[in-house]
Amino acid sequence: MTEVSLRSLVKRYGKTEALKGISLHVRHGEFVSLLGPSGCGKSTTLKCIAGFEEVSGGQILFDERDISRKLPEDRDIGMVFQSYALFPHMTVAQNLAFGLEMRRVPKVEIAERIARAMDMVQLSAHAERYPKALSGGQQQRVALARALVIEPAILLLDEPLANLDAKLRDEMRGFIRDLQKRVGITTLYVTHDQGEAMTMSDRVVVMFDGQIAQAASPEEIYDHPTSERVARFVGNANILDLAVSPRGDGQLDLVLPGGHLLRVERPACGAGGGMRVMARPEQIALTEPAAGQIGGRVAKRYFSGRHVEYHVETDVGPVVVVAPTTHAVREGEAVGLRFDPQRLWPVPSAEAPAEGRE
Amino acid sequence: MRIDALLLSLFRSLVYAFLLAPIVIVVLASLNAGNFLTFPPQGLSLRWFWTFLDNDVFIDAIVYSATLAAGATAVSLVVGTMAALYFVRHARQKAELVRLGVLLPLILPEILTAIALLFFFYEIGIGTEHQIALFTGHVLMTLPFVFLNVSTSLQGRDNAMELAARTLGASRYTAFRRITLPLIAPGVAAGGVFAFIISFDTFGISFILKGAGSAPLPIQLYDYLRFNFTPEAAAVSTVSIILTLVLVTLADLLFARNPDA
Amino acid sequence: MKRLRATFLILPAATLIFLFVVLPYVTVLVMSFRAPADGQPYGEGFSLAGYAQFFNEGYYAWSLPQSLVLGILTTFVCLILGYPVALHIAKASKRWRGLLYGIVLSPLLIGIVIRSYGWTILLGNSGVINSTLRQFGLIERPLPLMYNNFGVVLALAHVFLPFMVLPLLSALQSMDPALGQAARSLGAKPFTIFRRITFPVSMPGVQTGCILVFVLAISSYVTPALVGGMRVKTTTLLVIDALIDQFQWPFGSAMALILAVSAGLIVLIFARLTAMKWN
Repeated sequence: MTEVSLRSLVKRYGKTEALKGISLHVRHGEFVSLLGPSGCGKSTTLKCIAGFEEVSGGQILFDERDISRKLPEDRDIGMVFQSYALFPHMTVAQNLAFGLEMRRVPKVEIAERIARAMDMVQLSAHAERYPKALSGGQQQRVALARALVIEPAILLLDEPLANLDAKLRDEMRGFIRDLQKRVGITTLYVTHDQGEAMTMSDRVVVMFDGQIAQAASPEEIYDHPTSERVARFVGNANILDLAVSPRGDGQLDLVLPGGHLLRVERPACGAGGGMRVMARPEQIALTEPAAGQIGGRVAKRYFSGRHVEYHVETDVGPVVVVAPTTHAVREGEAVGLRFDPQRLWPVPSAEAPAEGRE
Repeated sequence: MRIDALLLSLFRSLVYAFLLAPIVIVVLASLNAGNFLTFPPQGLSLRWFWTFLDNDVFIDAIVYSATLAAGATAVSLVVGTMAALYFVRHARQKAELVRLGVLLPLILPEILTAIALLFFFYEIGIGTEHQIALFTGHVLMTLPFVFLNVSTSLQGRDNAMELAARTLGASRYTAFRRITLPLIAPGVAAGGVFAFIISFDTFGISFILKGAGSAPLPIQLYDYLRFNFTPEAAAVSTVSIILTLVLVTLADLLFARNPDA
Repeated sequence: MKRLRATFLILPAATLIFLFVVLPYVTVLVMSFRAPADGQPYGEGFSLAGYAQFFNEGYYAWSLPQSLVLGILTTFVCLILGYPVALHIAKASKRWRGLLYGIVLSPLLIGIVIRSYGWTILLGNSGVINSTLRQFGLIERPLPLMYNNFGVVLALAHVFLPFMVLPLLSALQSMDPALGQAARSLGAKPFTIFRRITFPVSMPGVQTGCILVFVLAISSYVTPALVGGMRVKTTTLLVIDALIDQFQWPFGSAMALILAVSAGLIVLIFARLTAMKWN
């Protein structure tokens, strides 16, 4: 069981700073995802922990031991690569045995341990196959077993599901998460897929431009993002420009164009500067025009099977609402929108132009 | 750096030096003022270049080789490009057979192919006359290089663009000329340059199949070197090296190189 | 109709290859069984005289092991010299790669006669190496660097090194760079990674490179002729001698075929020994 601490991790390539001081503590057995757009530094962070990149500053600690100057082969990590990186000239069993051979584990024990590992990933029948003869999902499981059979201090996964098709990806999410819980290994998971990060992790670390934007539980990230950028990157978000006035009791008053007043909790962040308000599409109710807090007109309607997405033109700008398919509002119809003050979340408004949803 | 890494990089540098050594030596030797190919050179001079320029045998050989190479390249470009198109677009399950077939002249030992051609042309009563056998041999030697270069540049892309052009109203031929050909132009050019250089330098085919009269440059050089040791041969070689370099550079400048080639 | 038009594309190449490669090789095969004759290339009827002459006369028969050993040595030297270079280029940055690639290809762009000639200038008795060593008083008599197997193998290795490096390079470049990282994360040291991962995974390239160099080396003519100065008797030299100078076509053809079949056998054995189940 191992804890991982990153202390002000800096990585420079020439003059550009890929990591601008990353600090993070990962607890025993915790599953932490590093989530962000490409180039945000999530993979670089993982490579620094693995030892494939030398850090330019800061420390990496495994249980208080600074390992940031150690060679990768001496760090005791298990890693799963995006390409799986299975050794093509070795059978499944040989792939699994490799790490144990490097550790000079006795032959008898190697056999036992790889048998157990193959059982764990349900591949016992394929021990003598070469990777080429396996499906993508099977290769993925071999890669996992190979990383885990050495019983490493921590497990690193670098976009391991990126090469699988959608259906298999959903299956593997659950498989990896269950396995990780069973083994109880401290895990760092890099992904650009927010759905993956949300469903699998104990904690999600959202990164932008070489910095951590927010590190919190999936629920916290989704409901209470600390910035407009995080709000937009994780899930869909309506960011509304509303008149915000702080009250003495730590709450905020939001005034809607129709005169409605909403009282919401004031977040810890964003003490100074302008505030905008985030409303998740599924947290807005679609009503008769008269019953809404604000009115609008449906501009577009997209049916997805599971729900219907309405793009509503309102006085506070376009608002996206996701409603159950039982609703039958047509394009061009007038509607009302109701917000739940409990679910509205003020975020500091972004100075830089916000990027599109990913 | 660790000592083994140091030794490894030293070893690599020696291999690079080994690769360049004979070429550098030939160029240096051509600047020797002395009578024989000795070292250290007895002073620098361009005298062997002037001797060479006065020597009709070598000038003729260079002109002859260049003409032969140009002719063989022209034929190879057409035949090789067509074969590459067939291989990439139409061959399907016969692809491996087509590839193997077109690459045969490259895979089979050149000297054996030369002998085979010699017998064959004797059997059909032509022999080495009119340089037909020699020319055929050069086309065979250059064909694989055009084929390899063109098929590589074709393989990178599907024929969606050509199909798009046809949905826009272009005929099959127009689509090829306006869309496909410009796209594979770098590959065709590279194949052409390769073919020219291979033909210019090839020995076995020319050695066996040359008829009476003028001979390609490598043959003249070889004949000369068997009995002479003056730096004139080095001067001729240097000129040949420079010609090759000029050709490669020109091709590189004229045609933007495939970034993934 | 469409298939027909497509077939038209391959017609010229197919005709060329069939007429001028396949048929001529059949001619060689037939020629090797023809009866010898004086004053003309071959006589009436068929015989095994060409094959018999080769194996009966030690002068010819011994050239075969000589050729094969020369080929194997050259292949081995190319592999030893070429592998570090291929690794280096595969790992080099984009800018360096172009230059290094150019150096490796440079021998290909310079004709084989000139390259062999360069070696004679270097290795000759009064060549660069010997005269330099003599000048520094390190030797009294010139070292025998040329006109022997040493010089021929060295020059052949130089001439054919690109044919080793290119397949190695393509094998190394098509290798997933994460393989090495995966091995390291599992605890392997750099040399272990080379021995257990990099080299075995690049085996298809090793195979191709070795076969290419071997076949090219045993059938080369100019380099052994110039650098070996006709004192290193390879079968290929004797074949050309029999065909061109002695005008004995059946005998020359028989020798050429014996060499080709022997080389083919060695290639087969090599391929069998290095067979890869995983590929």
